[in-house]
Amino acid sequence: MTQQIVTIARYTLLEAVRTRLPHLLVAVVMLFGLIGIFVGAIAITENARIQAGTYAASMRLAAVFIAAFHVLASVSREFNDKGLDVALALDVPRSHYILGKLTGFLTVGACLAAVAALPLTFFVPLESAAAWGLSLSLEIGIVIAAALFCAITFRQLIAAASFVVGFYVLARVLTAVQLMSAHPLTGADTPAHQVTRIVIDALALVMPALDGWTQTAWLVVAAPDWSSLGALLFQSVLYTALLCAATMFDFYRRNL
Amino acid sequence: MPWPVWALLLASLSLYVAMRAMAPAPLAHAAALPHPADPERVRAASLGEPIAAAQLLTLYLQAFDNQPGISIPYRDLDYNRVTAWLQTILSLDAATQYPLLMAAHLYAQVPDESKQRQMLDWVHRKFTEDPQRRWRWLAHATLMAKHRLGDKALALRYARDIARLAPGAPSWARQMQVFILEDMGEIESASILLGGLLATGEIREPSEIRFLTQRLEQMKKAAENSASVTKY
Repeated sequence: MTQQIVTIARYTLLEAVRTRLPHLLVAVVMLFGLIGIFVGAIAITENARIQAGTYAASMRLAAVFIAAFHVLASVSREFNDKGLDVALALDVPRSHYILGKLTGFLTVGACLAAVAALPLTFFVPLESAAAWGLSLSLEIGIVIAAALFCAITFRQLIAAASFVVGFYVLARVLTAVQLMSAHPLTGADTPAHQVTRIVIDALALVMPALDGWTQTAWLVVAAPDWSSLGALLFQSVLYTALLCAATMFDFYRRNL
Repeated sequence: MPWPVWALLLASLSLYVAMRAMAPAPLAHAAALPHPADPERVRAASLGEPIAAAQLLTLYLQAFDNQPGISIPYRDLDYNRVTAWLQTILSLDAATQYPLLMAAHLYAQVPDESKQRQMLDWVHRKFTEDPQRRWRWLAHATLMAKHRLGDKALALRYARDIARLAPGAPSWARQMQVFILEDMGEIESASILLGGLLATGEIREPSEIRFLTQRLEQMKKAAENSASVTKY
């Protein structure tokens, strides 16, 4: 059983290498590194702080989207090339296929996060860069699981991509939106506001508040407690498991 | 290639170039500094990256005087809006010192006393919120008040607040009030204060103790001389 999962994961990794994902990542890291250096050069104080902050914020967004679109493109290609049909014809259980793909993609995500965090070691203490990199790998893991779920469920690349982008943006702004809905400037008692607040609070129950992951403050103010990183790890594993279960549920009910 | 395709390509290119050549040259317009967005909206728009958003807002504000084809002097900016921008940036990133540097070293340098006072007052208010980290900006504001504004009473108020609220500040900053009092002719008050600093052991460096002790002796002599002049 494990051998099938490991084999699928290995081929998923191989696909990432053969589709030039490392080259793309290195190019993006260099681009944002140069942008960070430029922005730091035009600042008149706190140059290293601004460099680190600019690079970290932009690289976080880029790494997440690279990982998400790689997953979407890979699964979409597998459906179109009938690779999935071949795999299932070899008597690979559907759950093993999902677990194998997820394991491979999560490994790709961890490598993405490690490469993205590497330049930060020149600007910030190692502990801060390590915490940021670890949190980024957890964040990318959640997005990868969501992308895999969307790719399996929607089967159309544009629809799946739109959902993943919407999911990620909502997860990042959810805390700010909750705060704004809790303390509006006007119209706090109107029915529309009450309904909006209920919907937002309901969403907050089922979505991760990703603004708490991979914070720039860890790089420019102080490194986080490792206990808080442990809490993020637990949340990430739980939410990834939830998305994996949802993916398997949808995959099993399909007629392929 | 069919000739209508060539004709269409050449005609459209020629018409477009002619249209652009006849368009008037762009004029530089100075745009007023807009109101800053609410910090919570900026936090949401930045997808939960308030520090990066604060840094970008800082660079935008810093470069606002340099617009395409035109340069705006700082004194022509609406300082109420400038203060609002600096406040928004600090709300997003409380640990940064950049807004205070801009307030003390850029926007307070304009040859407009009311605007200088507005900036110095903002620096003072922000100092009281985090005195241990922000004392050096108020120290600069103290010097600005004394030497640029010529307002020694204001400088003394700032210097007293540094001594009272920022015990971690270096001794030169905490002793500024002594020298301002001396400059104001309040020799006796300055002597008492300096004597108190020496007696309580707040100053530990031997060279500093020696220098300040000499200074105290000079102040006492100056006080005696002025008392004897008054007597006669």
